[in-house]
Amino acid sequence: MTGGEAGESYDEYAALLDAVRGIRWPARSAVRGGIPGAHTSRLRGISAEFTEYRPYRQGDDTRRIDWKLFARSDRAYNRLSNDRAILPTMIVLDASASMAFPVATNGKWKLAAQLGVGLGAVARNSGDPVGLVVAGEEPLLLAPRMRRSVTHEIIRAVSAARPGGNTPLSPSVSIASQSGGRVVIVTDYLGDAEELLTVASRLVAAGREVHTVHVIARDEIDPSGEAAMVFDPEAADVRRALTTDTRDQYIAAYAEWRDRIAHEFTEAGVAYSTAIVGGEAPDHLIRRITAPRGMSATA
Amino acid sequence: MTFLAPGFLFASLAVAAGIVALHFIVTRQPRAALLPTARFVPDTPATTVARARRPSELLLMFLRVLLVIAAGAGMAKPVLTPRRGAQARVILVDVSRSARDTIAIRDSVHAIYRNGDAVVVFDSSARVVTGDISAGIDSLRPTIRRGNLSAALIAALRAGSSLRERADSLELVLVSPFAKEELDAATDSIRKLWPGRARLVRARQPAVDSARVTRKLGITADVNDPLRVTVMLAGQRITGNGQRAAGNGQRETGNALINRGPGFSSQAASRSGEAGALIEWPASTRPRFAVPRAVKDTVGGVMAGESGVVAAFERAWSYPPDSLRGGEVVARWVDGEPAAIEKPDGPGCVRSVAIPVTPVGDLVIRTEFVRFVASLSRPCAQTTSLIPADPAAVAKLEGNGGLAPRESFQPATDARSDLAPWLFALALTAAIAELLVRRRGKNANANRELRVPSREARAA
Repeated sequence: MTGGEAGESYDEYAALLDAVRGIRWPARSAVRGGIPGAHTSRLRGISAEFTEYRPYRQGDDTRRIDWKLFARSDRAYNRLSNDRAILPTMIVLDASASMAFPVATNGKWKLAAQLGVGLGAVARNSGDPVGLVVAGEEPLLLAPRMRRSVTHEIIRAVSAARPGGNTPLSPSVSIASQSGGRVVIVTDYLGDAEELLTVASRLVAAGREVHTVHVIARDEIDPSGEAAMVFDPEAADVRRALTTDTRDQYIAAYAEWRDRIAHEFTEAGVAYSTAIVGGEAPDHLIRRITAPRGMSATA
Repeated sequence: MTFLAPGFLFASLAVAAGIVALHFIVTRQPRAALLPTARFVPDTPATTVARARRPSELLLMFLRVLLVIAAGAGMAKPVLTPRRGAQARVILVDVSRSARDTIAIRDSVHAIYRNGDAVVVFDSSARVVTGDISAGIDSLRPTIRRGNLSAALIAALRAGSSLRERADSLELVLVSPFAKEELDAATDSIRKLWPGRARLVRARQPAVDSARVTRKLGITADVNDPLRVTVMLAGQRITGNGQRAAGNGQRETGNALINRGPGFSSQAASRSGEAGALIEWPASTRPRFAVPRAVKDTVGGVMAGESGVVAAFERAWSYPPDSLRGGEVVARWVDGEPAAIEKPDGPGCVRSVAIPVTPVGDLVIRTEFVRFVASLSRPCAQTTSLIPADPAAVAKLEGNGGLAPRESFQPATDARSDLAPWLFALALTAAIAELLVRRRGKNANANRELRVPSREARAA
């Protein structure tokens, strides 16, 4: 990418980055990281923030005993305090051919890229290392980094990526989960949704925080009324006649499928959100996605 | 130009009109569009039908119309109509064994023939002279086959149909010696099918007066040969007048001698050069021109002319097809196989008979067998072919009235159309072109539907 193109890319995301500057992204639950950070850790440590005393038990580290309390009460107590830790965040962008829709605007991919950049910036602003996986014809992996330039690296990566092919997403999610405590999947689920659900469920069970953003185009929800022979860009053999007779059935079937996807992922413990192209502004979407549990608005 | 079967052309025009109409009714698949969620659309076939203001796929329509009309026109057999004259002639030329004066016949035909006339030569069959007719007339040669005027008249009718577009009226000209043997029972009725009079040109012949043909029957055989009795009885039947007339200096053109074996060949050879018939009828040896049968069998009868004999003949010889070349069958077994054949021999002829004569029984004295032997001893064909026909029968051939009008003849449906093969070739070419254009259009549609926007286009 030339310097001029990079500058244009930054300009494209500048407003978004400004809009999400003040947003923080707390972990949905205590993290288990050792590196000090902004999120509550599952570990009880020796930080200055006192939490409680616990009677000394055999095997405890004697350095944790509050000797002043022992001197006053003649009883051995361990001084406990909450640790704070970082939460490495990996953003997985689906760059399959189905994301290049609508053809004229590439709206789904642009929205996914904005969400990736915006969420990455929010995570970075929260003090977390941020990485990126672009799952497409030309896969790309950015390992989680905390440096300030990581946002620019993400912008460069998504600007260079082009959606295409029908690469399955679940392997990329598995790779991302190896270095991220929080995995954000931005996809349209039109690839390997079943495998993705399996991987996400396994990650949730392993204590990872998994977010998914379902990117949907308006033309997919409510296609044009003009008769057309529609075909799937990821499956050449899928060619169907979309007519006035079949349109209603299509709308119903697609809505039912979206509901099922949302239900299954939510049931699996995944934070599921939807993002409709041309609908909610990206910064609003990001606020909704990053809101603490119990405060997130429903899609 | 005219069409021999115009119905096909009209039918093809109707089909072409239907094709054009169908091209105004467009049946096609809807436009193609990309939709990632296409899998949720029910899988049902769909086409849209619409009436267009302009016909769709003009090139295809043109090729299809061309295909149909060319095929229809080809089947309609277009022929280029020649300029029609006032009169044309169908000239029947006799080249049978009766017509021996070939030069006279050629001269007669040359004198009659004009451009545009049809010349039909005939002997036992008739055929139209095509190509260079003048050269064809010059090459006329008499054949050894018996003439058949009935066949010639039928060919004349067919030739008249082919000439109906060239002339307002047609004249039938017969150039023949009009021998008696050339007419049969059907000749008169077939002649009446020609709607007009005929001009008869009689070719000069060394005619033989049938009343002056004398017949005598002799035999050279062993004294105990049973056929002697038959010959004696047959001779009484056929030579009564001949015996009387022999002293009057008449030509003995009808004499016949039966030779019963190789032992008598010298007597038979001494007869060579006479105008009569030598009947080779060996008692036990192989008849002339015949070969032994692979398996002897018994056949129940034999026919010669109108004479027939019913008896259990043991058939030992047969005549191979080659042996019949240049001759004719004079007697047949009841199953149709030749039993006796005749071949010309100088002024006379040789007859070979493969009919066994058994001394057992009364065969040799039976009336029908005597009549059969008398029939076998009839004058040679080349003698009878010179016998002129009855003047009354010839007069019937001439007929009366004027020339035959062209409308009296049916159009020749079997006429050859020189344009038809070219039209069929054009139709075939149009069919192939239509296939290629249709396939190319289909591929182009498929490519257009499957084309995914390029990266550059998407980036733009």
